[in-house]
Order: sequence, then structure tokens, then C-alpha cells
Amino acid sequence: MRSPAVYAVLLVMLICCTATVCHAEQEILIGLIPEENIFNQMARHKPLASYLSDRLKTKVRFTILSRYGDVMDRFMTRKMDGAFFGVFTGVLAMEKLDAEPIAHPVNSDGTSDVQSYIFVRKDSNIRNAADMQGKRIAFVDRATVTGYLFALSYLKENGITDPKKYFREISFTGSHGSAIYAVLDGRADIGTAKSKIFQMLVAKDHIIKDELVIIKRSKNLPDTTLFLRKDMPKNIRDRIREILLSMHNDKDGREVLHKLDAKMFSEAKKGDFSYFQELAQKAGITPRTYNYR
Amino acid sequence: MCWLKSNRNGLVILLIAALSFLLPFSSYAAEITIGVIMSGDIPYYQEMQSAFMARIAKEGLSAKTEVLVQKPYPDSISLSNAARKLIAAEADVIVTYGAAAAAAVINEKTKIPHVYAAAYEPYISRLKAKNSTGTSVKLSMSSLLRYLRSMTQVTTLGIVYNSNEEDSLYQFREIVKICDQYGIRIEEINLRRHQDAKTRLKTANMDAILITGSSTAHMALPAISEYAHEHKIPSASFLLNRNSHTTVTMSYTPSEQGEKAAEKVIKIVDGTSVEKIRPDMAKEMEIVFNLKEATAMGWKLPMDLVAEATRLIK
Repeated sequence: MRSPAVYAVLLVMLICCTATVCHAEQEILIGLIPEENIFNQMARHKPLASYLSDRLKTKVRFTILSRYGDVMDRFMTRKMDGAFFGVFTGVLAMEKLDAEPIAHPVNSDGTSDVQSYIFVRKDSNIRNAADMQGKRIAFVDRATVTGYLFALSYLKENGITDPKKYFREISFTGSHGSAIYAVLDGRADIGTAKSKIFQMLVAKDHIIKDELVIIKRSKNLPDTTLFLRKDMPKNIRDRIREILLSMHNDKDGREVLHKLDAKMFSEAKKGDFSYFQELAQKAGITPRTYNYR
Repeated sequence: MCWLKSNRNGLVILLIAALSFLLPFSSYAAEITIGVIMSGDIPYYQEMQSAFMARIAKEGLSAKTEVLVQKPYPDSISLSNAARKLIAAEADVIVTYGAAAAAAVINEKTKIPHVYAAAYEPYISRLKAKNSTGTSVKLSMSSLLRYLRSMTQVTTLGIVYNSNEEDSLYQFREIVKICDQYGIRIEEINLRRHQDAKTRLKTANMDAILITGSSTAHMALPAISEYAHEHKIPSASFLLNRNSHTTVTMSYTPSEQGEKAAEKVIKIVDGTSVEKIRPDMAKEMEIVFNLKEATAMGWKLPMDLVAEATRLIK
């Protein structure tokens, strides 16, 4: 008869093996917030998923979170391991899910920050908050800084406490690209969006620059940042961070980065999100209790 | 007594005579005559008129309202004649669809209140119109061109317009400026009569075709669509036609404008002075992609632009 100690050792070994096997079989699911057209976004991120999968020896899969407002719920219900969040959703993830910022892409021009733009058509005669009265404004989503919070803080700073009364129509386009197209087409008079998406569209079609005028820019904000759940094993989190921060050193990695219009990844820290607090205060928003839906 | 009796009879006769004189007069006074002029008989304005009539009916005005609809050919003489007819008929209010019809009424300098719809900005604001109010539209020429360019490489763009329709001419000039920035050559199709479309298109050479807000061009839409289909080139239009084969349409919803025109007319009928009714802009825009046509032609529409569509024809 074997002693209980042997059984205990066997049991521990079994648990360890099961955990390892489970992890090897499991996939790492990472969410993407809809920044631009989701088809383009998925196509741009697919090579990164393959690159991470190869190096982690675990399948990494990206999925688009249907809209900003659903991000937190989807993150939990779909048991995601991480997500590329914007500033707003990133702060919400830190506050509500205890997620950890890992890395953010550095643009091909060496910058890793973005701004929020408030823009109008050049032929619109709107140049400041006073001119906006009775007009139509297109925000991106309630849970974005570059597509909502900055514009809201700008309006509050200019004495507009109730945008619902001030504007003839308020719409939420769901993506930065759509907010830009809405103003270009004349479906909205004022728009707000992330500088990176704005510049991306201008690079594709230079006429956009002649037709739109940016009337207000925010200070620099960190671009999309990868956050991971803190309950994900620390060694995996560290490994993902390590892969991302060094991928610009190998040829395959550089190709993947090129698809993302990025030069490299740089390390993200909690302190990167301090400007958010300033904007939230001006806009009268408390992240923990904020109803972003 | 005899005198009284004969006088009473006389009084009755006098009363009947007075009543018979007054009755038609009072019933005539209760009637409202609305004159309507469309800049050409095209589906876009027909849809606007249907919405206008539905809103008038909803207000309970149908029974006491006479609506005189004029659908002249979209040239200045025909439009001007239509305006004069309605002025001669002493319409209580004149409603116009399209900038050309609006200009025709404004040029008559009539005191009859005028309500316009689908009038192109900034053209309509330049016409000094004291007794006019209405709903104007502002269209982004570059956006429609962008949607068109997303389907095919455009080296030469055919632009269908009518130099006799001021708004269409204005749009043509705007598009030419934009094409110049893109380095796109122009194939100018100045269509003064819709019957000439086939002949004009026969000698044209282009990669894509853009139809301005010209009514004449829209009357020629079947011929233009046929040409585009035969030559496998995408087409784009600023006026909605629910039965056309146009690949992409960017247009303000006609029903919204018809309803807005009716609301302004109702205010005028209720006694509000036309000067007190502020002009406004149409706000409901439709972007329609004809995926069925695009697929049949083998064009792949970029999803980021298709995502902007309000309606897809499959």
C-alpha cells in the first residue's frame, strides 16, 4: 500500500500537468476596439496574432469588440485575456477589471501619442464653440477620449453644460473613420476623432485636408495600448510584453509592425493615463461610476 | 296685412338672393390654392410631392385645398411660364422643388408666399427672395467623387450637367475644381435636352460617370444607366431614384423635404407671415450603394465606404 504522501505528490503532479495542458490547448483571446473600419482593422492585426502565436506556442486570436460601450461587458462575458484599449476604455479596464497596461505601438514616424481633433468643413463658418449652436455634432462613442471626452470637456469649458439642448442633433458614429466621413459628406457639421485615423485618411486622400479644418486639438494622449488581465499568469504576461517590446529587432517582427503602421512597441505604464483625469474632471465624469453605454 | 304679406314674400326673395350670392363667395373664401412647380417630372420630386400631400392630408387640409401641380420641362422659359400660370391663378402659396423652379418664382417678384425644397446651397442663398422660405440642401461634391473613386481608378470622369440649370452648372464647376486636384480629366456632357443623351454619350470616353443634380440629366437616367452598364463603368448621382441602376447615390431624403415644405405651408395658411418662417437645411441624407450592380460588373466596393451606406441594394 502506498503512503498518502505518494498520493499527494501524484495529485499535485496531475494538477500541474492538467494546468499546463489546458494552457497549451487554450487560446489567448485579445479584443480590439473598433477604431476604423473593422475589416481593415482585423486585416492589419492578423499578422500580429500569428506572430504572437508562433512565439508563445499558444494560439492568439483577435476579436473586434462590437462597440466601445460594450467593451467592459464583452471583456468579461467572453472571458478575454486582454484587449487593445484606447485611453478611456483603458482607464475603465484599470479601474473596473484591474487590467495591466503592457505596451503600445510607436507610430512609423516615431511618435507614440495621439490627439483628439475637433473638426468641421472648411466651408461651414464654424470656428469655435459659439458657432456650434444649433448644429449637428458627430461623436465616436461615449467611451472614447479622442472621440468624445475631449470634445465634451471643450464644450464644458466654453459654458455648454447641456449639449443635448445646444446641438440640433447629436450622433455617435461608432468609429473614428465614420465620424470623419459624416462631416465630409455633410451628414454632420462638427466631428471629433483620433488624430491617427484622421491622418491615415488624409494620407489616402489629400483632398480631405482641403475640405476639413481642425478647430481644436487635445494634448498628447497615449495611443491604443495592450492591456492584459492581472489574473493571467505573470510569466505569460511578461512573455507577451517581452515579445512585443523586442519584435522590431527581427525581420518577421518588422513586417508585422509595418502592417500595423508601427515602428515598434514601447512599454506602457499607469502614469501614461494621467491627462485623462484632467479631462474627466472638466467634463464632470467619474470613471468608476460613469455610464458609458 | 296684404302689404305686409307681399313685403314678407319680397324679403324672403331678397334673403334667398343674398344667400345665393354669399354662399359661393364664402365657400370660395374657405378654399386654399397651393401651386406646386417641379423642376422637371422626375421620381425624386414626385416622392417629395407625395410626402407633401400626405402631410397636408394629415393636417386635415385636403378637403378645402386645391393643389395645382405644374411639371414643366426644366428650362427657364417653361419654368417661368409655370410660375406665371400659378400667379395668374392667384395661388395662396407656391411650392417649388429644385433650385431652377425656385429661381423661376423668385424672378417673377411676386408677393405670393413661396416655399422651396431641394434648393441647392449656396446657389439659393444668392437669390434675393423676400417672400420665400424653404429647405435647402448642401451636397459634398468630393464625397460622391470619393465613393466613385473607391470603385475604380478614375482617369477621365464624365460629368452630366445642364448649363441651363444654374445649380447643376454650379455643381459641375465644383467637381471640375476637385478633379483638377486629383489630376482627373473631364468629359463634359452638357445635356440641355434629355432626348440628346444617347447621341451625347455615343462619342464620350470615360472611366466613370457622375450625374449632377440636373433634372434634365435625371430625365435621361435610363439612357445614362444603359450606357454605364454597357461600358461597365460605375455611375454616381446626387438625386435619389429608387428604380435606377446608379452604382452610388448620395442624396437628401425627398420625403423629409416634402414634409418640411408642407409644415411651412401649414404655418402660412394659419396666418404666419412668410418672413417669420426661417429657411432651414435638409438633414436626412441617404447614401445608397447598388451592390447588385457592382457585383454584376465585377467591382469590389471597399468595406469602409460601404459601412457608410444608409441602404444597400443587394
